[in-house]
Amino acid sequence: MSDWRRRWQRYRRQNRVLVGLYVGLLLLTAAGFALFNRLSGLPPEELTNRLLIFLLWWFDLTLIAIVGFIILRNLLRLALERRFGFLGARFRTKLLLSYVVLSLAPTVVLFMLGASLLSKAAASWFAAPVEGMVAASVQLAEGVRQLAEARTARAAEVVARRLVEIGDEAGRVAELERLHTLLGNHLTMLYRNGVQVVELVDPRQRPMLRLPPLEDAALRSSGLRGERYAGTVVVRAWQVLPDGGVVVVGEVLPTAMIKAQGRLATSSAAYERLKLERPTITATAVLGFGGLALLVAFAAIWLGLYLSRRFTAPLLALAATARRVAEGDSLEEVPLPAEDEVGLLVDSFNAMARRLHGREEELEAAVRRLRTVLSAIRTGVLTLDAARQTVLANPAAAALLGTPELVDTPQLLEVLAVAFPRLVDTIRTSPSGFRGSLTLYPPGAARHVEVAVVALGTAEHVEGWVVALEDLTQLLRAQRQAAWSEAARRIAHQIKNPLTPIRLAAERIARQCERRSPELPAIVEQGCAAIVEHVLSMQEMVDAFARYAKFPAISRRPVRVGDLVRQLIALYAGVRPDLRIDARDDADNREVLLDPEQIRQALANLVDNAVEASPAGSVVTVRVAWEHDDVVFVVEDEGPGLPVEDPELLFQPFFSTKGRGSGVGLALVQRIASDHGGTVRLEPGRERGVRAVVRIPGVQR
Amino acid sequence: MVLAALALAAAAAVAPDLEVAVQPSTGRLSVQMAVGRELPDEWTQALAAGAPVSITYRLRLYRNRRLFWDLRLASHELVVKAQRDPLTGVFSLVSEMNREILASGEADSLEEAIFWVTHPPSAELALPIRHEPLWLFVRAEFLTRYKLLVIPSTEGTSWVQKAVPESP
Repeated sequence: MSDWRRRWQRYRRQNRVLVGLYVGLLLLTAAGFALFNRLSGLPPEELTNRLLIFLLWWFDLTLIAIVGFIILRNLLRLALERRFGFLGARFRTKLLLSYVVLSLAPTVVLFMLGASLLSKAAASWFAAPVEGMVAASVQLAEGVRQLAEARTARAAEVVARRLVEIGDEAGRVAELERLHTLLGNHLTMLYRNGVQVVELVDPRQRPMLRLPPLEDAALRSSGLRGERYAGTVVVRAWQVLPDGGVVVVGEVLPTAMIKAQGRLATSSAAYERLKLERPTITATAVLGFGGLALLVAFAAIWLGLYLSRRFTAPLLALAATARRVAEGDSLEEVPLPAEDEVGLLVDSFNAMARRLHGREEELEAAVRRLRTVLSAIRTGVLTLDAARQTVLANPAAAALLGTPELVDTPQLLEVLAVAFPRLVDTIRTSPSGFRGSLTLYPPGAARHVEVAVVALGTAEHVEGWVVALEDLTQLLRAQRQAAWSEAARRIAHQIKNPLTPIRLAAERIARQCERRSPELPAIVEQGCAAIVEHVLSMQEMVDAFARYAKFPAISRRPVRVGDLVRQLIALYAGVRPDLRIDARDDADNREVLLDPEQIRQALANLVDNAVEASPAGSVVTVRVAWEHDDVVFVVEDEGPGLPVEDPELLFQPFFSTKGRGSGVGLALVQRIASDHGGTVRLEPGRERGVRAVVRIPGVQR
Repeated sequence: MVLAALALAAAAAVAPDLEVAVQPSTGRLSVQMAVGRELPDEWTQALAAGAPVSITYRLRLYRNRRLFWDLRLASHELVVKAQRDPLTGVFSLVSEMNREILASGEADSLEEAIFWVTHPPSAELALPIRHEPLWLFVRAEFLTRYKLLVIPSTEGTSWVQKAVPESP
């Protein structure tokens, strides 16, 4: 921005400059107009009137232009602000319109009333009584003059008539003197052949002494004349005599009366002049009053605009802050002084902002703590939005998945779909509360992961999702090693048990052979029988191992679980006559996708155990039911109960408390349940016995 | 009767407010004006009551430039003033052309005075050397009125346009 432009921007905002420009322009224009009119040669009064009218017009028009400009500018500005959605535009529009209406309407009404009153007042100045007085004064002056003229004319006529009757000159002069005194003339003169022969003057009437004579032309015929002279009015009347002589009689009107009449006449003339200028006076008054009204309107509008700005400024600042906060900015205080109710509102807002700041800091601290925990724990945690589109990971999850970029910024879940399609599919489709196991293949080695999917918020309004990834690889490896060790120990134990009698039988046969014992055939027969028995036992054990090891994959198909249970129970009819085996179907005849052979085998293992453990006269109950979306099989007996403290030991392969059998029955049950995504547990019965519960997630057809 | 009324109406319609007669001479133009309409009542009353009144005759000389707007060559003002002396009853009459007294006189009656001011002495205007036709516009102004209280409006005759004849 150039220097001149900056200066202009600074000066433009200063009212003094604007006012100075206005006054200067006004003076220049007025001076120019006055000069122009003076050059045009107007009389001073006319010039003054025109200048005054011009100035008033200029003033009024300027004020009208300013007020109109202010109103239009603000209306246009507000219209644009409303169109572009500026904050507070509607409120300011209402305020401005209210101020304009409230200020302009009374001003206009007041101006019209005032103009009407002024016009009527100006008319009343020239009312009939005043007119009558002025006319009477004119008539009075006229009457006084006419009386003097009539009196003088009659005196001249009387004098002329007497002179006609007198023949000699001396007698005429004597008669002139007598009549001059008798009639009280101020002037009596006699002309003959244009020459003044007699002049009689009342010495008290000094103006008559210096009165210029009548011109010859006027004396050719009788006449009458009233004229101003020496501050008074002199009336002269003359009569032409038959012999050519002229008698002149004059009278001086009293100076005091003439002066009074003069003042009256001057006032009357001034009144008439004023009457003639009445429209100009009215126009001047109305224009002046209009100017005042416009000044009031201007002041009111300016004050209104100022107040509207002052009133709305804190509210607008407040609203702007609230909008910024709504758009995501941090909450900040509104820096405005608190004085009135608006200030109270601002104070409350600032207090709320401070309080929320405190809460925000607490929240940030909690988030920091949570991040620390999340970064410290070994469980991988993925957080997703409500639509499960974007994902953010803690360091453990990022390390597990080999995607460190997930720690800092949320990424689309799609980025994981290439490397971990099953995980992504599980995350996208699993309901809240889902738990399952997956094998992931990040760069390096395969990882066995337990996945838990939990929704945040309520069921109606899900705010996000959390997926926990528990890396079970090490644990499973350790468990597998422990299981193998346990299996080896038990296999060794199981194998060692028959080996000892076999070795003893073989040693006994060998010893009897050395002795040539006659009982050798019988001993060989007994020894071989024992050896075969134990070898068969070992064979049975090896078959059980093979079955457990070569367990087939499940093959789901729709099955009515009620029918499945009933068919199974039918197989046990008559196995133990002293025992009752009941079936209870609460499955509502629904079909479930599962492997019926494996489920049947699992249930058979459980029923076998129950039948074996049940005393005579007891009842074994097999029940199938729905709990939530799971199908639940329950096998309950009335036997002695669980033989161990920890029921989980019973599910370990080759673990047996019966001293016979392979010990893989319950292990198979657990494997079948696990392969179906379900669980199995053993628990004490309600009163006695054992209660085996198999829960399979219901995959309904 | 009807014809007479129509004739009177036609005469009234065509009667000009201001009669203007021009008489050219070498380098000069003599303009004789006469107001043909009634003067405003307030003007007459003011004169009778002794207030100074006047009639302003404005004379403007234009050059007719055909293709362009008419160019004003000169502007003159003939002001005829009248005032009655209430003490003597005599009307003082003065005629000023461009602020210079052209003529003066006295009248003993209102009618004489009105006739004097409505039939002012002829005005002598200087004519410029020209090559194009000249127009003379004349108007008589009596007083100023105001429309709607505040809008000035001069009451007078309408402008009379006269072609200036060639000098002999």
